[in-house]
Amino acid sequence: MENLSAKYGKTLNLDKLTSYCPGCGHGIVTRLVAEAIESLGIMSRTISIVGIGCGGFSHHYMDIDAIEATHGRSPSFAIGYKLARPDNIVFTYAGDGDTCAIGLGDLMHAANKGMPITTIMVNNTVFGMTGGQMSPTTLEGQVTTTTTKGRAVPHQGYPLLVPEMMRAMPGVKYLARESVATPKDVRKAKKSIRKAFECQVKGLGYAFVEVIVPCPTGLKMNVKDSYARCGNEMTDYFKPQVFKDETEQSDVA
Amino acid sequence: MAQETLFLKNTEAFAESLARCGVKYHFAYPITPATDVMKRMAVILPAYGGEMMQMESELAVSSALAGAACTGKLVATSSSGPGLTLMHEAIGFMCAAELPCLLVDSMRVGPGDGDILGAQSDYYVATRGGAHGDYHTIVLAPSSGQEIADIVPTGIKLAYTYRTPVLFVIDGVSAQTTESTTLPAYHDYSAEFDTAGWAFTGTQDHPKRALITGSYSHQDGYDLNEKLRAKYATIREKEQLWEQEQTEDAEIVVVAFGIHGRMCRDLVAKMRAEGKKVGFIRPISLWPFPELAFAGLPDSVKNILVVEMNHGQMVDDVRLAVNGRIPVHFLGKTGGDMPMNTLAEMIAEANRILGE
Amino acid sequence: MLHKCMFSGSGGQGSALMAKMVCLGAIKENLKVVMTQTYGIEQRGGDSTAYVIVSDEPIGSPIVENDADIAVALSQSIYGNCFAGVVPDGMLFTNSSMVDNPKESDAFKQVFLPVSDTAVQLGTVRCANMVMLGAVLAGTGLLKLETVEEVVRETIGNKKPQLVELNIEALRSGYSAMKKES
Repeated sequence: MENLSAKYGKTLNLDKLTSYCPGCGHGIVTRLVAEAIESLGIMSRTISIVGIGCGGFSHHYMDIDAIEATHGRSPSFAIGYKLARPDNIVFTYAGDGDTCAIGLGDLMHAANKGMPITTIMVNNTVFGMTGGQMSPTTLEGQVTTTTTKGRAVPHQGYPLLVPEMMRAMPGVKYLARESVATPKDVRKAKKSIRKAFECQVKGLGYAFVEVIVPCPTGLKMNVKDSYARCGNEMTDYFKPQVFKDETEQSDVA
Repeated sequence: MAQETLFLKNTEAFAESLARCGVKYHFAYPITPATDVMKRMAVILPAYGGEMMQMESELAVSSALAGAACTGKLVATSSSGPGLTLMHEAIGFMCAAELPCLLVDSMRVGPGDGDILGAQSDYYVATRGGAHGDYHTIVLAPSSGQEIADIVPTGIKLAYTYRTPVLFVIDGVSAQTTESTTLPAYHDYSAEFDTAGWAFTGTQDHPKRALITGSYSHQDGYDLNEKLRAKYATIREKEQLWEQEQTEDAEIVVVAFGIHGRMCRDLVAKMRAEGKKVGFIRPISLWPFPELAFAGLPDSVKNILVVEMNHGQMVDDVRLAVNGRIPVHFLGKTGGDMPMNTLAEMIAEANRILGE
Repeated sequence: MLHKCMFSGSGGQGSALMAKMVCLGAIKENLKVVMTQTYGIEQRGGDSTAYVIVSDEPIGSPIVENDADIAVALSQSIYGNCFAGVVPDGMLFTNSSMVDNPKESDAFKQVFLPVSDTAVQLGTVRCANMVMLGAVLAGTGLLKLETVEEVVRETIGNKKPQLVELNIEALRSGYSAMKKES
């Protein structure tokens, strides 16, 4: 297969064939992150801190320093890193399980601290790597290997709306939810991800982008149907939108 | 900062020593009896160009510590038993990731929520480790304010030489004790070590580096463990630290660390004055445990008495070190208004064993 | 040289401050010093004891366990504990303004001084601790009077400069009262 990564610049590096399953949304998000880093010219000072789960693979396809953190703790790792080296650009990249199940506390406190850090949360409504278990963002009624009759709200609650929880935090300067369901959505996602990095480059504060993606393997669906679900049921509940954009402020010196 | 003698709580002596020896960033969460370390760090670190960052839990503390340690800069934390329990996820990670950092545990009565009174109850969790996997943390146990000031540079050198976390443990009674301590002039000991060869600082001066502790193949897991095994063997061989007095002709040797170790000096002086042949060994490195001190004990030693502020934790390592060669006795308590055995009780027990 | 001290008093009498003055003075005289908080059964509401060990060599056990050679009892409620905590040949300094019916001791020397009354005459009962500290210095040679005066100027002078002279006067008055006694 032709290796297209060079077309996207130096940051993206697909010398290793990706470990992502066919149709996985991570591939698109990883590429968008690499493009944002490339376009901002920050590759040599950017550090990727990834979580546990399929999102942890993302750094393998970027020629930047990377830290594979403990499960859910990448926002806290990022706080420590950014404090010690404020001139580096630090972003965390993880799925919904890592980010808002085991790591919700770390995430919310990192966001609330408002340090210039960027977080990309890739939400596919399921624990992918361990084989399709319920995550906090699993939709009501969604069948997973641990909710065989569908997620039941009375005991398992409603799917977690993470950016909505951050909305009131003044330290969060860029906050958006995007999806990769259609080429048009991908273009919007690209813009948001770039802004989330720009926000940090300008030193403004915390930036968070949730990206709604399909997981054909975890959902046991073919690729086409999984994208249709992404554009319908998933984004009906997780509505793509820019919640907050304060990136047009002048640079914080 | 110039060298100066101050009257400080030993928690404060830790803060001063850490900052004067090069710690730039300190992460912590309030917990008695360790809070005074973070309080003083918050006040003094800005003058050193650093900062104390209060986190929302010890879990987050240790994760932020790990993230900061990735930069190669000297970073530290301070806590007490329940906090140390939460930190083990990151401690195990940092051992696997080979990240240098310093931790201070001001030990209190456990288990569970425990008591804020001082204890030596964290010997097991410090030396055995509370996280999964085959790893060790270097554990150093100073017994006075002056020893805190003197041993922090040693801890930093060990952390950077072996690229591994170093944990200082001190009982809460000593932590809350106030004493005269001569603090060193400012010197960043971590600056003596070149971190450019491994630190994760961005690709401007090196090809991509990735910190990976997970196994992408089963061979990865084997290789990582073999590498750590070799490193731990070197540390065991080279880095045992202890104080030993009057064991040459001793019939009984008292073994204790921290505050009880310090009390042994008085014990030996008093009992020797009565003609009793007693000596002591005070382990300073709890891991690696100073087995060499026991290998060198003469045949005159018929009994060993281990004294701890717990129900018998280090005594296991003493038994392993003497391997049945010498009977090992134990005296210890934890909790209560007076949360430790007194010098009088230690002497009485040593005399009882001598009289048997 | 090794002195083990206990400074006991009830709430507000400033026994802990006495102890701190001794510690800071000891550092000025290049001595080693350790202070521990109250541990043990004598810990009660309102009463407090500060233990101080002063030595010209590194200090072993930091705990004073009923082996003080210098003890101070500023109030009635802690007198019994202080009496029990003194070694033979030690000295117990008691505030006779507050302690009635003291016990007899053959083993150690007892000094009775009405430091609260003296303090009231000097202007405020709150400097009774300094009167007593002056007496302790005179009676034991623990530290030089001038050293402690210097400590008073530095510590109290920082926060409440108007109280410096009062405290120094209190120290000196206790010092000379003790000199007369012995």
